[in-house]
Amino acid sequence: MSASDPDALDNRLLGTGTERLALLGKHAEALMAGYVRDEVPLEGLSTTALNRLLSARILWRPDEQAGVKLAPKVRELIAEMLADETRRHVNADVAETLELMRGLVQSYREARDAAEYWRQEQQLLRLRQAVDDLDGRFADAIDSLWRRLNSDFGFVSRLADKIRENARAQKQIKRLLDGLALIDFDELIDLVGADGALRKLLVSQLQHRLSQHYTSLREVQRRLIELMARFRQQQSRSRLVSGMAGFLREHPGFVPGNYARRGEVPELVNRAAPLTAAGAVALDHPPDVRDVTELLHHLPTPAAAPEHVAVAVAAERHEDTLIAARQQALREDVERFYLAVVEGGEPPSALEYREAAGLDWGEEIWLFQVLAEFQGLPRREQAAFRLHQAESRAGTFNDLRLIHDVRLELCDAPREGA
Amino acid sequence: MIEESMKERSLVELGPLLERLLAGDFLCAVSDDAAFRRLQDEATRERIDAYLRPLNRRLATNEEGSVYFLAWRQLDDAARDQLSRQLAETVGSLLPMLEWLQLVQEALGRDGPVSPGDVLKPADFSSRCEDNQGLRERLERLATDPFFGSQSEQLDAQIKQVFKRLRERGYLRQPHADRQYFVATAKIDYLIDLVRFIRDEEQLPIDDQAPAGQERLL
Repeated sequence: MSASDPDALDNRLLGTGTERLALLGKHAEALMAGYVRDEVPLEGLSTTALNRLLSARILWRPDEQAGVKLAPKVRELIAEMLADETRRHVNADVAETLELMRGLVQSYREARDAAEYWRQEQQLLRLRQAVDDLDGRFADAIDSLWRRLNSDFGFVSRLADKIRENARAQKQIKRLLDGLALIDFDELIDLVGADGALRKLLVSQLQHRLSQHYTSLREVQRRLIELMARFRQQQSRSRLVSGMAGFLREHPGFVPGNYARRGEVPELVNRAAPLTAAGAVALDHPPDVRDVTELLHHLPTPAAAPEHVAVAVAAERHEDTLIAARQQALREDVERFYLAVVEGGEPPSALEYREAAGLDWGEEIWLFQVLAEFQGLPRREQAAFRLHQAESRAGTFNDLRLIHDVRLELCDAPREGA
Repeated sequence: MIEESMKERSLVELGPLLERLLAGDFLCAVSDDAAFRRLQDEATRERIDAYLRPLNRRLATNEEGSVYFLAWRQLDDAARDQLSRQLAETVGSLLPMLEWLQLVQEALGRDGPVSPGDVLKPADFSSRCEDNQGLRERLERLATDPFFGSQSEQLDAQIKQVFKRLRERGYLRQPHADRQYFVATAKIDYLIDLVRFIRDEEQLPIDDQAPAGQERLL
C-alpha cells in the first residue's frame, strides 16, 4: 500500500509537469516577447491560456492593474539557455543548500534505521539532486563568468559599462568564494559517518567538484582583475588623449619647457640621432672581386635613348642652371645692399647703391628684388627696417603708383638680429 | 679565444637589430618580434650597450618596457641641440597624432585609443567616413594637416596618405606591402608616455582618472 501511493504521486507529478512544460513551448513567442520587453503581450493569448500560464507560475501579475510579467525563474531559465549575460543571474546562496542537505541526511538516516527502504531511496535521490544543484550552480556561474571575460564584456558597448560589469563580476566571484568557504568538509565527514553511499556523494564527489570550481574561480578572478587593469588603462589613455588634444586646441601657442636643456635630461626625451651604416663597393679584398664583377654584370643596362633627345634635355638643364645662377647672384647683391644699410652711414637709395657698386642689373629687376627681399624677411627683422618708396601716379586720371626708387633706413632702435 | 669568437658571432647575429636601432627605429613586439625577444635578455642588452659605447649611445626603453630605442650616453652641446629640435618636432606633431588617435577610437567604436597590436584597415575608415559627414570632415582636416600632408581631395587618397605617414613614422607596421592592413606598434605607448610626461611637467589641468558619470569627453 505504501508503495502504490508514492507511485500515484509520481504519476500525478509527471502528468502535471509535462503539461506545464508543454505550455512553455506552446506560448514560446509570447514568452520571449515578455523576456525582451517589460511585459508579456496579451493579444495572442486566450483567457484560458493566460490562466494556465499564471497557475503554472510561468507568468505572474504584480497587481490587478499591472500587466503580466515573466516569473523570475522563467526569466532566469531563458537567460541561462541563451547564455544572455546581461540578464544571467549568479546564485551564490550556499547556506540554504547546506541546510537542506543536513535535513536530508538526517531524514535518510532515520529512514535507514527504520528500514524504510523506499523512503531512504527517495532521500538519497533528493540529496543527490541537491548536490548536483549546488555543483551545477557553481558550474553555471563559472561558465557565465568565463563567457563575459572572453567576450571582453562585449554585451555592453561603453567602456564605463564594461568597468561596472567587471566590478559586478568580481563581486559575484567574491560571493561564490564566500559560499564555497561555508562548506566545511570536516562537518560533512562527521555528518555522513560510516555510510558508504553518503560518503561517496557528500565527501569524495563533492569535494572533488568543489575544488575544481575553486581553482576555476581563482583563475577567472585573476583574469578579471587583469582585464580591469586593462580597461582602466584604456580609460585613462582615452581621457589623457582627449584631454591633451583639447588643451592643445585651446592653446595653439603652447610650448612645453625644453627638457633637453636640463641638467638631467628626462629618459623619454633622450633619443639619439639616427645613424646610417653606409657601405660601398671595395676592391681591397680579393675574394670579393668575383662577386663584385658578378654584380656588375647583372646591372640592368640603361635603356638606350635616342641621341637628339638626350642633347635637348642637357641643353635645357644648362639654361635652367644658368637662370638659377643669375637669380642667386642677384639675391646676393641685394643682400649686400641690405648689409650696407645695416653698417650705417647715410644710406643710399637702392638705385644709387646699384650705380655706386657698378652693378649691371636692370632698374626694374633690381628694385623688384629689393622689395621682394624686404617682404621675405622674418617679421622681427622686417621691423628693424623702414622702407621709403619714391613713387608717383602713373597719370592724372590713373591712380596707379609707379615706384621710381626705394630708400631703406634702419629704425631708431634697431633690434638684435637685424 | 673560443669565447672571443662566440662573442663576435653573437654580435653578428645582432647586426640587423643594431642597424635598425642605429637608424632611429623603435623596436617592439610588433615592429620586430624576433629582435624584441632578444632584447628581453639582459645579457644581450648589456652586450649591445657595450657595442654602442664608442658611438656615444645606449639602449633605452619606456616605463612598461614595451619599446626599445637608442639614447645618447653623454649629452654634449650637439646632442642637446639635436634633442631640442627633435622635441620641438614631436611637440609640433602632437596635436595631429592625438586627433588621429581620437578619430580612430570614434570611427571604429573602440573602447580606448589605438594600442600596440591593434589591426587597422584603411577600408574600415573609408566606409565609416563615407557614412558620417562629421568624421569625413575631421579626417579631411587631419589629412591636410602639414604633419600628414595630403594634397588630395579624395577620401581614399587622404586615408592612404595618413596611413603612409604613420607607417613612415613607425607608429604602424604594414606586414605585407601589397595588403592594406596595418598593425599599431608600441611607439604609440611611447607617445602616450610623452603626453603624460608633458602633462605632469607642465602641470596641465588634464585628469586621466575617471570621475563618475563623465566617461566621454569627446
